[in-house]
Amino acid sequence: MNVTIGMSDILLISPMIALFVFSLLPLASKVLAGNKEQNTAATLIVALIGLVISGGLLVVFGGSDKTAFNGQLLFDGLTQWAGIIALIAAGAGLILMYENQSTNQSQFSEIMFLAMNSILGMLILVSSVHLLTLFIGLELMSLSLYLMIAMSNEQKISKEAAIKYFILGSFASALFLFGVSYIFGSTNTVDITDLMSNAATLVKTSKMFLFGLTFVILGFCFKVSIVPFHAWTPDVYQGAPTAVTSFMATAVKTVSFAAFLRIFATQALNGSQNLFDVLQWLAVITMTVGNLAALVQTNFKRTLAYSSISHSGYILVGLITAGISQNSAYSASSVLFYLLTYSVMTMGAFAIASMIEKSENHFLSNEDFAGFAKNRPVLALCLSVFLLSLAGLPPTLGFFGKFYLFSAAVSEGLVWLALWGVINSVISVYYYLRPIVMMYMRDGEANIADHPQQATTVTVVISAIFILIVGLFSSPLFTLFENSLG
Amino acid sequence: MILSTLIFLPIIFALILAAWPQKSTIRHLALGFSIIQFLVSLVMLNGFDSNSSALQFVENYVWIERFGIGYFVGIDGISVMLVVLTTFLMPIMILGSWKSIEDRVKGFHIALFILQTAMIGSFLALDAVLFYVFWELSLVPMYFIVGIWGGARRIYATVKFFIYTMAGSVLMLLAIIFMMRLTPEVTGGNISASLLDFYKLKIPFVAGEFFTAQTLLFFAFAVAFAIKVPLFPLHTWLPDAHVEAPTPGSVVLAGVMLKMGTYCYLRWVLPLFPEASEHFAWLFVVLGVVGIVYGALVAMIQPDVKKLVAYSSVSHMGYVIVGIFVMNSFGVNGALYQMLNHGISTGALFLLIGMIYERTHTREIAKYGGLASAMPNYTIAFIIVTMSSIAVPLTNGFIGEFLILMGTFKYNPWVAAVAVTGVVFGAAYMLWMVKKVFFGPKGEVVTESEKDSHHALHDLSVREFVVLAPLVVMIFWMGVFPNHFMDFSKKSIDHLLANKQNYSLEVK
Repeated sequence: MNVTIGMSDILLISPMIALFVFSLLPLASKVLAGNKEQNTAATLIVALIGLVISGGLLVVFGGSDKTAFNGQLLFDGLTQWAGIIALIAAGAGLILMYENQSTNQSQFSEIMFLAMNSILGMLILVSSVHLLTLFIGLELMSLSLYLMIAMSNEQKISKEAAIKYFILGSFASALFLFGVSYIFGSTNTVDITDLMSNAATLVKTSKMFLFGLTFVILGFCFKVSIVPFHAWTPDVYQGAPTAVTSFMATAVKTVSFAAFLRIFATQALNGSQNLFDVLQWLAVITMTVGNLAALVQTNFKRTLAYSSISHSGYILVGLITAGISQNSAYSASSVLFYLLTYSVMTMGAFAIASMIEKSENHFLSNEDFAGFAKNRPVLALCLSVFLLSLAGLPPTLGFFGKFYLFSAAVSEGLVWLALWGVINSVISVYYYLRPIVMMYMRDGEANIADHPQQATTVTVVISAIFILIVGLFSSPLFTLFENSLG
Repeated sequence: MILSTLIFLPIIFALILAAWPQKSTIRHLALGFSIIQFLVSLVMLNGFDSNSSALQFVENYVWIERFGIGYFVGIDGISVMLVVLTTFLMPIMILGSWKSIEDRVKGFHIALFILQTAMIGSFLALDAVLFYVFWELSLVPMYFIVGIWGGARRIYATVKFFIYTMAGSVLMLLAIIFMMRLTPEVTGGNISASLLDFYKLKIPFVAGEFFTAQTLLFFAFAVAFAIKVPLFPLHTWLPDAHVEAPTPGSVVLAGVMLKMGTYCYLRWVLPLFPEASEHFAWLFVVLGVVGIVYGALVAMIQPDVKKLVAYSSVSHMGYVIVGIFVMNSFGVNGALYQMLNHGISTGALFLLIGMIYERTHTREIAKYGGLASAMPNYTIAFIIVTMSSIAVPLTNGFIGEFLILMGTFKYNPWVAAVAVTGVVFGAAYMLWMVKKVFFGPKGEVVTESEKDSHHALHDLSVREFVVLAPLVVMIFWMGVFPNHFMDFSKKSIDHLLANKQNYSLEVK
């Protein structure tokens, strides 16, 4: 194969190059200064500038429908928008890391380096249409993340979480690779665009291909915590430093789902009724198990972890819709919109958790919120907005996200999945209301930290305003997504 | 623009209140705002043409173009009086809560104003998604009002209220999405959420089969509204919410929120699903009648005044449902009138109970007795409101219940016979309660107040007099000159009943 790398390739991957360069800057300055940690605020600002530049380059070059490196990376609307959502979520995550208690301040440059490279992995993951490149992106993203979880001040739980995540994540990667090998074996190609044209017939004719595809899907199910492959999620979300959890729950999940969407876009579901049935059941089980398990949690982060599992179920409904739809731009944009919605509200909720936990060993429980509304009225209001939005109550963004998602499902005849979705929304209301009850309706001294964290507060307030305003005026955004995915 | 003003003015008021620095003048400011809002609604009423069944003051803007969702609001005879009722009760509630809400005064009034936006929005919305947004939005402030300023079991009550109502409405959301999918048939290819397009849909109906489109959609809507009304056996959240809510919360709940449910039967269910409504009308009539009798019987044994009134609400709302589903002119006119009556008389009852609770901190009937001698003016007011509640002629309650019973008699004399027993039971429990509380031997509360000058029972203050006076005036005005009010809705109801199968509304 004759591989040539031209200027166009460089321009297309310029967002990734920018990320890499900016990830090196703080590290380099630390090394040059004799391995002494420089000003952490400056480090954060450099990293954020990197993200902004990368995002800007993505806006300029990202959505051109061009491929780079011999069709390994595709820069289409999905790459562009999923990338931008991930960059925004990740940026918020970095701000959280800067102010969170459990961040080891003497290693802040290293953490930023890892985080930026994890984001680089995310961009590779969303843009790749080649299963092996996709794997590289996935691993780059995950490996950095394992380290970030372990690099906490806290000594025990976060290490345990890192090991758990590492082992199970590696297992999922192995499953994924195993599946890829079968796909390659049966079709001689691992190029998703090639597979797209004939996947629907291949799953009918070739058992081996179907087998391989199933394992690829399972690998992703691990990553996005679809029940029954979700067992790691609560432990890791709880054990990881809250800032890193927020990073995982939003940016990582967004790009994993975006890449998952590419697998679904091969139209394989239209060929295999069995796969279609199984995935529908997985969606139903994921929503239900996530919500039922969240009902009995007392730890706030764990509740959010299960809530995140149930939201994976809702998003899977959208993926299935996109997978069987002839006009997948509509359902795919509803998925993308939901990912944005989900990222903003989950990031907000975790950001508040990150601000108020007293130390890295403090496990925030629902009871800790008693009297919160009197201590910190603005934060309490913002958290209420996030939780009501997660529950899908109008007029918040969460309602419109669910509305688009379930509208798409109903339009493809998946009424019963939408029915499960809305029933689950009602179940979820109960546990989303619990912190609100605590904050506003119970008296007490909130058992929380009170050193001011300005940057995180700003992030929280902006997210809350975003949720209230963008929901009501979501029409142009949705149309934008749909046009760029079409 | 006047309807948008009515909807969004309260939000602006809430924002001003949020930014208002002076704590001591919050109540005055809120009262002033609510009176402005009431005056705006009177201006609207003045411009309303009651000789037309068309939608008036219509505003229609594109909101979410991709899904044909619009900001589409309008008013007709069915909604006009309910909107005025909402704005009318608001200043009364604020003045009524002057002394009872001590904690977080600002937040309380902000919640009230947001609630008002949601309620007026639900009455005016003519777009399914817009309607759903307002409908659900009304849950949040109510949830906080009960949960923060409520009684001892407030958290249980408010969470139950929230989840119950939400459980009903999500199925309605799914039904709305499903119906939006059907609209391209009637709009020529574009998806739409406009109610007027929904009206044009001919949804297939097969009698005797449950799993057909119209039947399922009918139940998705009807159950959501039945929970709000609340219709027996979905009423269990109501007594809890009423008892635990602070006085203004109970007033707004009984006065307006329950009407959102019954109003929506007239606006959404009957015109959208004509065959299914007709086919299952018997079910709602029966449940309504069961609710009337059951509510009355349960009210009879309540030891707590507020709980008694809460169950009387179940009973009274049963009349409204029966009136709607007998689907004749008497019934529906009576039902709409009864909605207003119930708002005024039950609202007044909750205010009165709140006043005595502020003085004595108990609501147990057994502790009262002989109150008439200590608080004569209060007693007179209470008895007038009771007369309205038990539908004594010359009061508003009489007109409503009489019309509904006439309509029911035309529908089926036996059903009417059972429903009439509710009137008897209603009179029984209310009068017993009045007798035990106000007359007879002096109870614990009165004797204590005589012994101890600190606990002396003061009669109505000027403020309380001002709170009750408009309600008492309305009770008699509506009882003696019902046409002053019914004329607004007559054309719209005639139009609805004459065009059950092919309902449509003109836009004026």
